[in-house]
Amino acid sequence: MISEIIGEFLVLFGTIFYFLSSLGLIRMPDVYNRMQTATKSATLGSLGVIIGVGIWAIGHVGSYAWLPKTFVIAVFLLLTNPISAHALIRAAYKSGIPLWEGSIVDKYREYLEKEEGKEEVSDETKEGEQ
Amino acid sequence: MVKRALAIVLILITGYWLANALAQVPFGADKMLVGKYYLENVKDQTGAVNAVTAVVVNYRGLDTLGEVTVLFIAATGVAALLWRKKRERTAKSEGSVVLQTGSRLLLPFIMLFGAYIFIHGHLTPGGGFPGGATIATAFLMLYLAFREYEIPHKVFEPLEGLAGMSYVIVGLIGLAIGGYFLFDWIWQTWQLGHDNIGKLFSAGFIPIIYTLIGLKVGTELTGIVDNMVKEPKEGGQ
Repeated sequence: MISEIIGEFLVLFGTIFYFLSSLGLIRMPDVYNRMQTATKSATLGSLGVIIGVGIWAIGHVGSYAWLPKTFVIAVFLLLTNPISAHALIRAAYKSGIPLWEGSIVDKYREYLEKEEGKEEVSDETKEGEQ
Repeated sequence: MVKRALAIVLILITGYWLANALAQVPFGADKMLVGKYYLENVKDQTGAVNAVTAVVVNYRGLDTLGEVTVLFIAATGVAALLWRKKRERTAKSEGSVVLQTGSRLLLPFIMLFGAYIFIHGHLTPGGGFPGGATIATAFLMLYLAFREYEIPHKVFEPLEGLAGMSYVIVGLIGLAIGGYFLFDWIWQTWQLGHDNIGKLFSAGFIPIIYTLIGLKVGTELTGIVDNMVKEPKEGGQ
């Protein structure tokens, strides 16, 4: 009985976060902000829905077998979603998709430029030594 | 423009024709002729709880053998098309640290899950082909995350052939014992696992064949990926 209520609450919680994440996809100005909203809230929403279903099943179906499975799926999702988001955003940045015109600092660009400068300097010194 | 309009008209005519044909099929009505026999006898005759895998491996085993052959031919064809003496990866940049660490951590879990799918083919949805594809995904992930990674070819290609050969050998043992190819000798003749239907050690040779198919499909798809990501070395042939 209690588990049913907790499960229902978790599923509702998750679907609200799903809705917010899809809303963020429409509302946000550039790729990076969209990824920000989409990945974070969708991950949290999925965790809520998946574990909620597992807990719901204890009361509703009367079976404990769902909970470990949903738990494994949730942990897997929790581990993989940030990595995929990271890879997507990195690939987007590397392929030159611009930031929103309102953004102020781009530390990664500064870092990359500094790295390039270092490499050029080291190459020059090497050539000078030869 | 005219081409596109013609194509749309043609597709619409084809769609109307198909919809007309489908309208004569009574959906929702009970029209199982052979299916009923499968559903009623699947547990006694094969020991599998999963009727789909029982049909695929036991009742219609030759089709699965054909599918495995198709995959084998596909892998061999890709290898033959892209064959060069000197080939190497041409990826320009390494995956990021997060990606590398993540794939290193996730690899055993994905392999384990793939093995779980094909070992439990007679109990849960799935079977050899999804399990093998999952294992191939793990290797694809390694290929994407690391620039230097390459599968051990000396292990992979013999394993692929050996798994396919073992499938045929299992079928041939059935021919020797039961009288026809792919006869389920473990279930029908030895009667192993007759008292634990629904548990892991049941269903005759379905788990064995699915393990072989899983290994075969996994190594084959990995081989296709391996062939596709490599390009001929500059200055080579």
